[in-house]
Amino acid sequence: MTADTDGAAPAYANRLTRRESLKLLAALAASAMLPALPACASTSTQDAAAAGADEGHWPELDLQPVTGNGYGKDPDLMSPPEAPWPLTLAPAQLSLLALLSDIIVPAEGQSPSASAVQVPTVIDEWVSAPYPDQQRDRLTVLSALAWLDDEAALRFSQPFSALGAQQQLAIIEDVAYDKGQTPRRFQRMAGAFARLRNMVLAAYFCTPEGMEDIGYMGNVAIAGDYPGPTPEAYGHLETVLAELGLSGFAYRVA
Amino acid sequence: MNDAAYDVLVVGSGAGGAMAAYELTRQGHKVLMLEAGRHYDARTETPMFRRNADAPLMGASTPDKDFGFYDSTVNGGWQVPDEPYTTAEGTEFLWWRSRMLGGRTNHWGRYSLRFSEHDFKGKSRDGLGADWPFEYDEIAPWYDRTEALIGVCGTNTGLDDMPPSSEGVLQPPPVPRIPELLIAAAAKKHGIEAVPMHRAVLTRPLDDRAPCFYATPCGYGCSIGAAFQTTTSLLPMAQATGHLRIITDAMVRSVTTDADGQVTGVAYIDKTTGSEKQLDAKVVVLAASACESARILLNSKSARHPQGLANSSGQVGRNLMDSTGAGLSALVPALMNRPRYNEDGHTANHLFIPWWGHKAQAEGKLDFPRGYHFELGGRFAEPGAYVGGDLQGYGPALKQQARAHYGAYVSFALRGEMLPNEHCYMDIDPSVTDKWGIPVPRFHWRWSEHELKQVAHGLETAKAILETMGATVGELPAAEDAIKKGGEIIHEVGTTRMGDSPGDSVTNQWGQTWDCPNLFVMDGGVFASNPHKNCTLTIMTLAMRNSAWLAGQLKAGAL
Repeated sequence: MTADTDGAAPAYANRLTRRESLKLLAALAASAMLPALPACASTSTQDAAAAGADEGHWPELDLQPVTGNGYGKDPDLMSPPEAPWPLTLAPAQLSLLALLSDIIVPAEGQSPSASAVQVPTVIDEWVSAPYPDQQRDRLTVLSALAWLDDEAALRFSQPFSALGAQQQLAIIEDVAYDKGQTPRRFQRMAGAFARLRNMVLAAYFCTPEGMEDIGYMGNVAIAGDYPGPTPEAYGHLETVLAELGLSGFAYRVA
Repeated sequence: MNDAAYDVLVVGSGAGGAMAAYELTRQGHKVLMLEAGRHYDARTETPMFRRNADAPLMGASTPDKDFGFYDSTVNGGWQVPDEPYTTAEGTEFLWWRSRMLGGRTNHWGRYSLRFSEHDFKGKSRDGLGADWPFEYDEIAPWYDRTEALIGVCGTNTGLDDMPPSSEGVLQPPPVPRIPELLIAAAAKKHGIEAVPMHRAVLTRPLDDRAPCFYATPCGYGCSIGAAFQTTTSLLPMAQATGHLRIITDAMVRSVTTDADGQVTGVAYIDKTTGSEKQLDAKVVVLAASACESARILLNSKSARHPQGLANSSGQVGRNLMDSTGAGLSALVPALMNRPRYNEDGHTANHLFIPWWGHKAQAEGKLDFPRGYHFELGGRFAEPGAYVGGDLQGYGPALKQQARAHYGAYVSFALRGEMLPNEHCYMDIDPSVTDKWGIPVPRFHWRWSEHELKQVAHGLETAKAILETMGATVGELPAAEDAIKKGGEIIHEVGTTRMGDSPGDSVTNQWGQTWDCPNLFVMDGGVFASNPHKNCTLTIMTLAMRNSAWLAGQLKAGAL
């Protein structure tokens, strides 16, 4: 997806003055993001733009709401609509989303990466849906994408996708954990990242490849009685019942 | 047959209406059924085996499909297009409807628990609410017949909350899954039994219905007829007699009466044309759902019935009850990274926890009067639009966390009995009408201390069991915050309650209105109380029993 150039780009952020970083952010908002999504205007908050400020920066996107119809109250369940509503992510946003999706779920052993099973397309459909929950997620996801480019510009003077893998991961490391010790300036992005991470995982595990990865074995017709747990599963239960001191209370399966 | 040839006009094709049609046609009576929704064929419209990935938004709930894309509900949910309802200022109430043949039986949970002698005589025991106008022993044979007809899997547990079915009535239940077995052991340590849930899901063939093949959530509907719904059972069976005619897209506005105040038929809107039509019948049976039937009665005012039809008691719309609902779930470390196998089962809980506190209540050891049960959740469910777990990081380590958490959460869904109270009722909104100009219901709601104390007890109990399983639960929410909204459990009943006296009830024990002998109610509206057990089995059982009585009256020429 991006050239793997370890440590190639110099850390420009350290050399930037506050004024210059503000200007850079404004330019990014105006040039990089806006053409990609005409309906969206970004004005980074003032403190925000100040690199190193406690609050951090945040792209205050002014999104036009997605209007239009949903799939209605009597959709065809046998043949779900292939394209229930127009997709709204611009090519650059989709590419960045794909890059991020593959950082969250890379290829691993037999399991493909997120983008290889069209996770970004599922998320595009999600954030383009005319329903309240999805509209909230749209703001979250688009803000997260814009934040990544803003942060990349502040630190490395380039859009996120132009960074080397180590630089990208340096940013992701700062926002991918939210255990109470996240610095304030990363907390808002950490929340947005968590939501996006959950969407990527959900879209991934819904695919046949993802179901195999997580170990979902249902949705197959069984002839005769439901077979229930395997001997291995019963064995595991016996172990945990013993560990919890519950063996004497075990339910007797006929 | 022309319309005038029908003996009985049944409004509604759900649990009550379809059972009434089944029993009446079986006994040779001509029935005309009106359904406000569209025709629906579960055999061709049910999305069996469809994956979440094939649905928009991974099948997630939306305002268009409140229970997810594949839920069978047609043109319904918490809101029906062009058919609003209102709530009084400062109160909240949710009203689930569907506009389809078979009504809500197409998607219900299929939980089928008998009410017990305790349940029918609560007032005699604690002085609250109302007793039912018959004894458990009188209805027990009808429970047997209904269970055998619809097909219920489960066992006779011998517990005082679960009266036994006759030998050979129940079909064998599916074996429990691992999380249920762990919960059962932890509960047992607290002296609480988990036992097989009773569900209207076939595990053996019945008539032309196939047994469950343990795939596809029952809420989608069931094309093979394993999960009971009227569209694959009672309705086709009644039609096979040649005595049933069904008109869909027929929205009843009112029950019509003559100058003497006697019922003559109904007025309805043909939704396909928007025109109003009139049908005459010897007998009218309302089974449109508790609140819809009460709405029809309250909208059927005349000089002889100035408060609405069958409402000389003033009780139509009163005594509105739902089940209490609350939930508690937690990650159980002992279930993390456990061996995989197919845990779909019949897609709902195989084990549940029935109410265990009758004795404690009798001894005055509990600070609330009525019981509840727990429906148990937690399994390797089909992945959907949201992934559980306190997930951190990214990459292979993240995916490993997700795998570890999969199937490691368990949940307790409390469903409890509420008592009727003067603040919970429906009337007709004085200014709002639906698309056809029919005045709409207005709901009033307030939980009492009884329900809040019950929910608090349930949360504490669930927490204790979870902690025994090694889960960390944390601080419990206040009962006021944890309790679901009125109507949210979709067990609304009581708005045309039955009783022993025309002074404080709307119908007698046969669902026959005190005011009009040829007008019956056969939905959940007739419930005198709302035991914690889900209402549908008892709606059907009463409809069968009372239709049999009605058939006897017709044969005797009494109506």
